[in-house]
Amino acid sequence: MDPMPTITLHLNGQRVQTQAEPQTLLVELLRGPLGLTGTHVGCDTAQCGGCTVIVDGQAVKSCSVLAVQADGAKVTSVEGLAQGGQLHPVQEAFVACHGLQCGFCTPGMLMSAVALLEEHPDPSEAQIVDALEGNLCRCTGYVNIVASVRKAAELSR
Amino acid sequence: MSAVPAMRFGSGAAVRRVEDPALVQGQGRFTDDFTLPGQAYVAFVRSTCAHGRIVAVNTDEARAMPGVLAVFTGADLAAAGVKPLPFAPGFKRPDGAGAVPPPRRVLAHEVVRFVGEAVAAVVAETRDAAKHAANAVVVEFDELPAVADLETALAAGAPRVGPDMPDNVLAEARYGDAAQAEAAFAAAAHRVALDIVNQRLAPSPMEPRAVLAYLDGERLTLRMSTQMPTGIRTALAACLPGCTAENTRVLVGDVGGGFGMKTGAHPEDLLVGWAALQLKRPVKWQAERLEDFLSGVQGRGANARAELALDAHGKVLALRVRGVANVGATPGPVSVAIPLVIGPWVSTSIYDIGLVDLQFRAVLTNNAPTGAYRGAGRPEAIYIIERLMDAAAREMGLDGAELRRRNMIRPAQMPYRNALGQVYDSGRFEQILDQGLALADWNGFAARRAASRARGLLRGRGIATFLEWTGGNALEETVRVEVTADGFVELTIATMPMGQGIATSYVQLAHDVFGVPLERIRVLHGDTERANGFGSAGSRSLFTAGAAVKVASERTIDEGRQRAAQALEAPVGDIEYAAGRFTVAGTDLGVDLFELARQERFTVSADTKAGGPSWPNGCHVCEVEVDPATGEVQIVAYASVNDIGRIVSPVIVRGQVEGGAVQGIGQALCEGMVYDRASGQLLTASFMDYALPRVDGFRAFKTAFDESIPCLTNTLGAKGVGELGTIGATPAVVNAVVDALADAGLGRAAEQVQMPLTPAVVWAALNGRPSG
Repeated sequence: MDPMPTITLHLNGQRVQTQAEPQTLLVELLRGPLGLTGTHVGCDTAQCGGCTVIVDGQAVKSCSVLAVQADGAKVTSVEGLAQGGQLHPVQEAFVACHGLQCGFCTPGMLMSAVALLEEHPDPSEAQIVDALEGNLCRCTGYVNIVASVRKAAELSR
Repeated sequence: MSAVPAMRFGSGAAVRRVEDPALVQGQGRFTDDFTLPGQAYVAFVRSTCAHGRIVAVNTDEARAMPGVLAVFTGADLAAAGVKPLPFAPGFKRPDGAGAVPPPRRVLAHEVVRFVGEAVAAVVAETRDAAKHAANAVVVEFDELPAVADLETALAAGAPRVGPDMPDNVLAEARYGDAAQAEAAFAAAAHRVALDIVNQRLAPSPMEPRAVLAYLDGERLTLRMSTQMPTGIRTALAACLPGCTAENTRVLVGDVGGGFGMKTGAHPEDLLVGWAALQLKRPVKWQAERLEDFLSGVQGRGANARAELALDAHGKVLALRVRGVANVGATPGPVSVAIPLVIGPWVSTSIYDIGLVDLQFRAVLTNNAPTGAYRGAGRPEAIYIIERLMDAAAREMGLDGAELRRRNMIRPAQMPYRNALGQVYDSGRFEQILDQGLALADWNGFAARRAASRARGLLRGRGIATFLEWTGGNALEETVRVEVTADGFVELTIATMPMGQGIATSYVQLAHDVFGVPLERIRVLHGDTERANGFGSAGSRSLFTAGAAVKVASERTIDEGRQRAAQALEAPVGDIEYAAGRFTVAGTDLGVDLFELARQERFTVSADTKAGGPSWPNGCHVCEVEVDPATGEVQIVAYASVNDIGRIVSPVIVRGQVEGGAVQGIGQALCEGMVYDRASGQLLTASFMDYALPRVDGFRAFKTAFDESIPCLTNTLGAKGVGELGTIGATPAVVNAVVDALADAGLGRAAEQVQMPLTPAVVWAALNGRPSG
């Protein structure tokens, strides 16, 4: 058998070198060998967004990216948001605004929101909706999720 | 004193959920997040055929593939004595014979009855190996004629889903007095009738089903995503040879939404347990979304012909319903109880309707079985009566709110026994209606309609005033409180969080009594070694277990008082308690609660039983705009006033009502499971085909609560809230769309539209075309 490709990620602020089969998805690498189970898989058609991570500044559904495609990239997953025991403003806002119920879609929502706020620190409601269009939530009706992102923008200022 | 912190964090206070810090940091412990050494993976081989005899299951190639550890077929399981999931006695066919559905086997044997039914299972070293080998299993079917919908199933001479039945009617329930109702209809000043389709839905918790089974010594342990750990244990003991309640354990971590789908055991759950027993190593199954669509239980799926007779003043004289429910091919007892028992209980809702003639039939089809889905029977019943109320108001030229008001049960009639024998303990429905109308600015609608019309849009207004039954008829709950030596008040409870934030509410209730910081109170659940009970379903957890938290906490303080009296050498009557410390009245002598626990282990249990179901109710008012060019419906206003009795966690209940309403809106406007009529193939098997509400839908809810009407049958005064929003939203939205269409010139014909009210359906209605 061919040796497995070696992949280097700048993952949550750390350089990580690992190996993955050519067909391994980024989400499989994260959840499996790298043990980062905060990134979730909620569907098999790239619709739910539960697996969203940030790759080189872009919110990306990690079920739709091969691990080898992320070689050399800067990858942030939900585990990389809090710093030194301090929640990221987006995490803080989701807690403050009851932006989650079961919490399964939440990591993906958070990552989409973080990517949005990095690009648009003071997003309009339409921009928030646009950024979260690829993330499904069955519990909240999105009411408090959009409110959370607005609150996060405030907290980040 | 504990009064100040209790006001800030105790019941009634808006607090941060105790669940959230872990969940927002990706530290949730969902089933698939666990990996055990030596863990193997299951993949299922599923029927591609809606109805057929299994001629052969060829597993040779699969067994020879790398990494494959075992392949199981239905024949293997039958030979080993694995039993189908049990049905329940008591349901009767129209001819009086007992209802016996086709067996819900762990793996199909001899016959498959719906597309997606598990036929074989492969266990392999990796998920990929299991999936590849499952693809290599060749199942040969001898196709049989299938019935993919109710109409086909009920046609004369239809192919039969069940082998031993004369037709596809599995069970029937009748309520009321048909002759008296007929007389009332004959004499009525007004009669309305509607054909109602309540389409099948996919519950769609964002976390699909998941099971990790392993042996702990000799004991089979299932770690899984479920709302009912004890029920799963019971199913394991009923189906798997050698399993008993004593030698099996069910563990549950975080549950990524349940909505009823994760109540009872699914066949796959049992197979995973069986595989672990056979292989003596950990075995995991994480359902793909496709598998949840194919074989997870579905909700609703009930059609009805419904009629109302009214006198000249609009007083309802009689309600008549002929309902048929598509319970699929392998229904369980819940599939049948929902349309035949639970739904009918609320069929007269908040209205004083003494005379009914109800007939409901559970019908077998070659679809996946139905099961509980948020509301479970109540949404179907409330949708019927609320659609009828609007039809009657339109028929009589009355305001819909006024017609409802004329029929509401009065507070003086409480406790009220409805025509189905259910007793409502409390409710002031007109008071809720009045507040709902004010919040929605009901009387200002004409101006808003004119403004919409000026923009080329058709505006409609819909209302639903309703109640629901909660508690699951499981009204008893036990709570164990332990004060630990390391400084925690630990509550052990058999209910199951699945996103609703119930642990936070329990912590608030315990804080009321103990006055210690919320961080010092923790809730243990999801382990059949620790606690057993009904689990969380039917909006029961708070008013059953929450009441027990209060009692058990108070008893713990009483016990502590005794111990403190000994420790402080003072009479028990002189011992006071506040905020974690016992003191001797009038002195500065005292001992901490947790110090007592350090001296000796400190545990108190209490059970409480509610005296009856709780009957939450509400008034939901929706306004929509319909674009006549496209048929697209936009919700533009949604106001609701809800009576859920006493509120423990105000932020949480608002989230329940509004999130629940979006699910109800989903049924009204976009969701629907569709089986191809000819082939029985499922056409909506992904989120690309099944439309869940997305973030671009309506969010500007105006939601209010009236806390002045406590439930009288539980000590908390709380009424269940989990399903209320879903039940109210669907009829409120559909009534609004029908109103818009009726006003656009369709008149009573608008009432014929059926959910989901997609742009295609609405456009077709506006343009006089069939919408098929």
